[in-house]
Amino acid sequence: MSHLLFLCDLFYILTYLLLMAPYDDWNRVDEDEEDELQDAAFFDAKKDVILFCIDCSPSMLALRPDHEDETKMTSHLYAALNSAMNLQKRKVVTGPNDSFGILLFNTTRKPDTPRTQGSEIKKNMFLYQPIGPISAPTIQELIQLLNAAQEDSDEIQKQFPPCDSRVAMGDVFTSCNWVIRDGAPKTATKRVFLITDEDDPHPLSKQLKISAQTTLEDLAQAGVIVEPFFIQSEDRRFDVTKFYSSVLQTNAFADDVDSDPSILNQSISISRIEDLLSQMKFREVAKRALFNIPFELAKGLTIGVKGYGLVTEQKKGEYKYFVDLGDRLEAATVKTGQLDEDRQVEVDKSNIVYGMAVVGAAPSNDDAEDDSMAATKVVKSGQRPFYTADEMRSFRTLGLEPGLKLLGFKPRDTIKFEDNVKHSLFLYPEENTYAGSKRTFSALLKSMIKKKVVGLARGVLRRNSTPTIYAVLPQEEDVDEMEPAGFHIIPLPFADDIRSAPIDEGYIGQGSGLDKQDDNKIWLSLAFHYDQLEASAFREEFNPHAFEDLTEPNVDLIHAKAGKLLKEWKVELANDDSATLVIPVTGSKRKPDDASNDGIDVAEIKSRFESGSLMKLKVDQLKAFCRSQNLSTSGKKADLIQRVEDWCNSH
Amino acid sequence: MVAERAGYTVTMFVVDVSKSMGATRTVALPPGPNGEERFAEMTHLQYALQYVKFKIQDMIYGARKTDQCGVVIFGTEETDNQINAQHGGYENVTEYIPICTPSAATLRELDELEPSEVFGDPVDAMIVAVEAQNKHLGKKKTWTRKVILVTDGEGPIELEDWEATANKLNELSIALTVVGVDFDDQEFDYVQRDKPDFKRVNEEFFRNQFCPKVNDSVIGNLDRVLEQISLPDVKTSRSTLMNNVLRIGDVDTRTEEAMEILVKTCKCTSINRPKAFKKFAIRPKTAQEEEAEQQTMNADDGDENKVVTVTYAQLKARTEYYVDKSDGKEDEEDQVKIEEDGEPRPEDLEKVEKEELIRGFKYGTSYVPCPEGQFPKLPTKKGIDLIGFIPEKKFRREYAMGEVQYIWGNPDNPTAQCALSSVVQAMYEKGVLAVGRWVTGDGRDPKMGVMSPALFEKVHCLLWVPMPFADDVRKYTFPSLDELRNKKGEIVSEHAYLPTETQLEAMDDFVDAMDLMQAGDKDEQGNRTEWLDIRDSYNPSFHRLKQAMFHCAVVSDLDTNPLPPPHPELLKYFNPPKKFVKKAQSTIDNCIKVFNIKHVPKVIKVARKDGHNHANDDDDEMLLLDRKPSTSKPSQSLSQAKISSKPAEDGSETEDDDEDGMLIDKAEPTPRPNPLPTPARSLNNDDDMDIDPQRDPDRVIGRTNPLADFRENLERGDIVTKVVEDMSAVIQEVILAPFASRRSKEMIECLIELREVCLQEDEVDAWNSFLPSLRRMCIDSSPGNKVFWSEVRNFGRALSLISDKEAEKNGGSSQFSETQATEFLK
Repeated sequence: MSHLLFLCDLFYILTYLLLMAPYDDWNRVDEDEEDELQDAAFFDAKKDVILFCIDCSPSMLALRPDHEDETKMTSHLYAALNSAMNLQKRKVVTGPNDSFGILLFNTTRKPDTPRTQGSEIKKNMFLYQPIGPISAPTIQELIQLLNAAQEDSDEIQKQFPPCDSRVAMGDVFTSCNWVIRDGAPKTATKRVFLITDEDDPHPLSKQLKISAQTTLEDLAQAGVIVEPFFIQSEDRRFDVTKFYSSVLQTNAFADDVDSDPSILNQSISISRIEDLLSQMKFREVAKRALFNIPFELAKGLTIGVKGYGLVTEQKKGEYKYFVDLGDRLEAATVKTGQLDEDRQVEVDKSNIVYGMAVVGAAPSNDDAEDDSMAATKVVKSGQRPFYTADEMRSFRTLGLEPGLKLLGFKPRDTIKFEDNVKHSLFLYPEENTYAGSKRTFSALLKSMIKKKVVGLARGVLRRNSTPTIYAVLPQEEDVDEMEPAGFHIIPLPFADDIRSAPIDEGYIGQGSGLDKQDDNKIWLSLAFHYDQLEASAFREEFNPHAFEDLTEPNVDLIHAKAGKLLKEWKVELANDDSATLVIPVTGSKRKPDDASNDGIDVAEIKSRFESGSLMKLKVDQLKAFCRSQNLSTSGKKADLIQRVEDWCNSH
Repeated sequence: MVAERAGYTVTMFVVDVSKSMGATRTVALPPGPNGEERFAEMTHLQYALQYVKFKIQDMIYGARKTDQCGVVIFGTEETDNQINAQHGGYENVTEYIPICTPSAATLRELDELEPSEVFGDPVDAMIVAVEAQNKHLGKKKTWTRKVILVTDGEGPIELEDWEATANKLNELSIALTVVGVDFDDQEFDYVQRDKPDFKRVNEEFFRNQFCPKVNDSVIGNLDRVLEQISLPDVKTSRSTLMNNVLRIGDVDTRTEEAMEILVKTCKCTSINRPKAFKKFAIRPKTAQEEEAEQQTMNADDGDENKVVTVTYAQLKARTEYYVDKSDGKEDEEDQVKIEEDGEPRPEDLEKVEKEELIRGFKYGTSYVPCPEGQFPKLPTKKGIDLIGFIPEKKFRREYAMGEVQYIWGNPDNPTAQCALSSVVQAMYEKGVLAVGRWVTGDGRDPKMGVMSPALFEKVHCLLWVPMPFADDVRKYTFPSLDELRNKKGEIVSEHAYLPTETQLEAMDDFVDAMDLMQAGDKDEQGNRTEWLDIRDSYNPSFHRLKQAMFHCAVVSDLDTNPLPPPHPELLKYFNPPKKFVKKAQSTIDNCIKVFNIKHVPKVIKVARKDGHNHANDDDDEMLLLDRKPSTSKPSQSLSQAKISSKPAEDGSETEDDDEDGMLIDKAEPTPRPNPLPTPARSLNNDDDMDIDPQRDPDRVIGRTNPLADFRENLERGDIVTKVVEDMSAVIQEVILAPFASRRSKEMIECLIELREVCLQEDEVDAWNSFLPSLRRMCIDSSPGNKVFWSEVRNFGRALSLISDKEAEKNGGSSQFSETQATEFLK
């Protein structure tokens, strides 16, 4: 055990070392900072600790037919452990710095070796997996257990025999507290995933209920959030009001500090065992606000909002630098400083000023040596040619403090498809700075949905970010789809960001040769479910052979449904006038009266290829053809001919 | 509009440095820090050079090698130009800066220009400039040629052969700009008073004779052009067309039924970022330099030219790598220390060269080294694969993740254009969007996105926007805004979080009044137009930073010559139009009234004093955890060894003095055998209690006079829960503070009233959970307040738990029986 704890400690050190890298990177770019960079650093720097706290009562162990495979028997506990394993596997890639642990209660299983370090946990509880960073061996161990359970459905019961009487929930929470305290880094977001199917563990004892309540308070005090997953089955409903609604009262969702104690905590999720994993995935990442700013609807009408990044590109994970010390790899600490190259001294951040690049050594500087590397600017004493960091910030923000300001409303369709440059953010009301924010936010949301309008707002989301105009898109609450009520704010491009269309004229398919009805059928028959869009497994473990690229089009389906139509369409296209149009030749050396230079079409190229007379074509003609086929136009005539011949061979 | 080919330009600046340019003028500066008006004295030449430097700065900023310029000055005492060298004549004209790509050095050279004591001829100078330009460009016909003449028009002009010069300009298709110091300008509405006659003649020559003769020419007043160039300008950049192919179906094996359309793609939106500033720092003088300076100062005593200088060095980023080579098997104590400090001790770190480093990824607890290119790439094939179609309605605008791209049919291939156009039309008619998978090159990571049909007048294309993968979407859970449930699980229909009918109506009116479609200026027909068009919006940061960069490049001291305020055009979308807001004011006022939003004074963060689990997180999530005072638990005893007796750094400066005193007492790090977490104070601090006794009564109960606050708040009626909660917290804090005995009577009174209210207002549970917690605080915690608890006990049954009987009488319920209630205080 001591060995294990030692490893845990070592882990902190390593993670600290590792954590410094993103921070330093971030510091380095702070002047040219863009919001995304900050978001990334923000998320990287946070660690998640999840302790699965799973009930092993007889009902959890009871064997039931598997919902997927009726011939197999499975238990709730198996499903819970399986979910825990799957979640850990996912996290290896998405959050390698995160830690997990598994604590079982209501079991008589005793620890194999007495704990010498850390705290003893209460009776009838078993720490199956102490809190520690995700590692392949621990996951493997769990997988082995699950496999064994697949073979022999009683395996789990053998491993974790249930005890006769239920453990007091107060003791469970206390043990969670100890386990987390022993294993979790202090700056991490600590959560307990409580999985049980018993809605009334202590029907007779008020005392035990109160003790559960107070121990839970302790847990909250220690910065731990309990996220309950209550399992109900068809024959057994889970009634939160029996025990948990009053007990969990103190365990308000960490983010919603303002939650009113008279209102039921909504972080409770009750689900069927089959949905456990998906429910957990929803809560996989601890919810963190990116900013908390005032939203001014009009002068004198300001509410508080918090912003969340619901759509952010998940990066593949950054490279880290390591040193091979022979027996192990050690991560390197990265330190970045600003250097005066001539003097080889690092300059303190607070002394840095900003300005235009200067070149060479100043001519007025008589002492300037020829080999000096750093450019300098020499001014009279007392003159200030550069800006301070504060001035730079005020240029960037134009003196605005973080906040959103509503400018007005427009019909929803005024926000065009192409008015996009960056991902959106999500706003949810925050009651703590402005009491009454929730009702106002809610009323605004309803009104905007009713009137089908979007808002436009000017916002500076962070202290050092640029003022941007946002489209404020209302989202209606949809309980079934797990869509929360709130506003999406979409950063709109500035005129500076909009590129004009480089092509303003082109051939437009006309009805003559093209049966549009047919076309339409193709598109409709290919109608596709939207959710497919989100499908991807790129960030999963990568095995090139077993890897399935879910984003590849399902060509079989396409051909089955639309193959024939596509074929017809191709025929129509071939019959269209455009197919016979010659490719105009443009070239600087073209003589207007040279008839042979007028144009070239595919048919001619092909016939010349067959007859071997491609050589007779002019370079401009060959180039024009290459351009029309997305081929390179570089090189000599021989290269061009080679390219055209290759094309003819493959078409 | 197709953008002009960027770069490939030679601009000749022809600058007048004649005697008259040395006359001084007063130029208004941006107002000082206190809004006072400020002016600067400068010569005409300095003023005119601002324009030249600005133009050159723009070239430097663009950083195009092919954007070149040269400077010819006239009115110099010496003569130094090619024509003079070869043929004589053209006196007092100097080729000051030969044609080159400008740099900061060019600007510095301009700074050294001084007005002379003689005059020079502008037409002569133009001929020199054109000649130099022509010589430099030789046969390069595609380059753009520009000549910019800056003069005050006060010198003599040889008016004989000017037509030949004008013809020469036309022949070489040179664009001419004449910028005149104090020239009359009708458009600018400027007429120079007491203008000397010869200047009037010269002006008229330029305006009415020379410029009209040059095909491509403009003439303007210097003040006007200086104002014009401060206008933000949007550089229209032409996007590069990239080859790609749009695939439908399996083109490899089922060619008959599959389709490949040759397309070109290019950017439709692209974030334009400002250029980075360079970093500088004052270079400290070495002792040697210091001495040398001192000596020269002494030697040349009285010499005005010797001034003390300061050197700013441009900085360069340096990255160094360190590794902790101590093998990490130290004793535990050290480990803990490292953990506490958050970083390894510097003495263990050893510098390593970048070459020794291996790149790798972290995989769980292990590291996976990955030298470049070692991981196999996805076997993807370049192209845009069509995956399917979705109805437009199903498109979720908020999922659009990034910059938009155009997809065009190959402009040189009519078949491709026709095919793409037919796809676009069919999609448009059916109201569908296409889902696609885009691979920019073989083996590159694919991107998923949605394509929307775009039908321009003469060409059809698709617009692509990237969409998220499942991993990119975070499904956070948020409490419902509409469906609030009470503890019994029943839906609550009235609550401070839920808007009332009146509030909803007020909001509807507000939304209607704030409709921007009618908020703009009137058009020709007198109809109000739409306000706010992003196609007309300048990125304020971008242009402000650019302005700042230009400014510091042309002035030598920012204190005496500060950056002018931002151009109003940059700020036009910062606030809705005043008139428009005025019209909507009645609905705004109504909203302010019915929603009754109260600003809650900022809560000062309370540092957790719980040693082990010290959470110094910078976010506010932790605040909640401090709300409830800690309870005594054996679990905490284990952490005693590590308890950091951090002084209460809760930012008490806004607290009243009384509180401060208490906190300092509390923080005395007296080592106790069983130190317990110091109870954190409630969040609901009455920060400004002593500042404003009439302060906002909405959410907080103060410690100074809790009972009064309590009563006052209850009268408002709708926030009972909050009031009860706050009161409970305040009572606990007061009794746990030192010298609480002074206030125990008052606190008992508070308890009596609190219990009464809980009973009446169906807050029975609140009381029944508060009281046991209070007992724990008093008895189990240290120092606690056992005396106070015995006072409560002495008070007897009337302060105990609320029993089911009592609760029922008042229409509530309780989990405690009458006996339990009686027992509780025994």
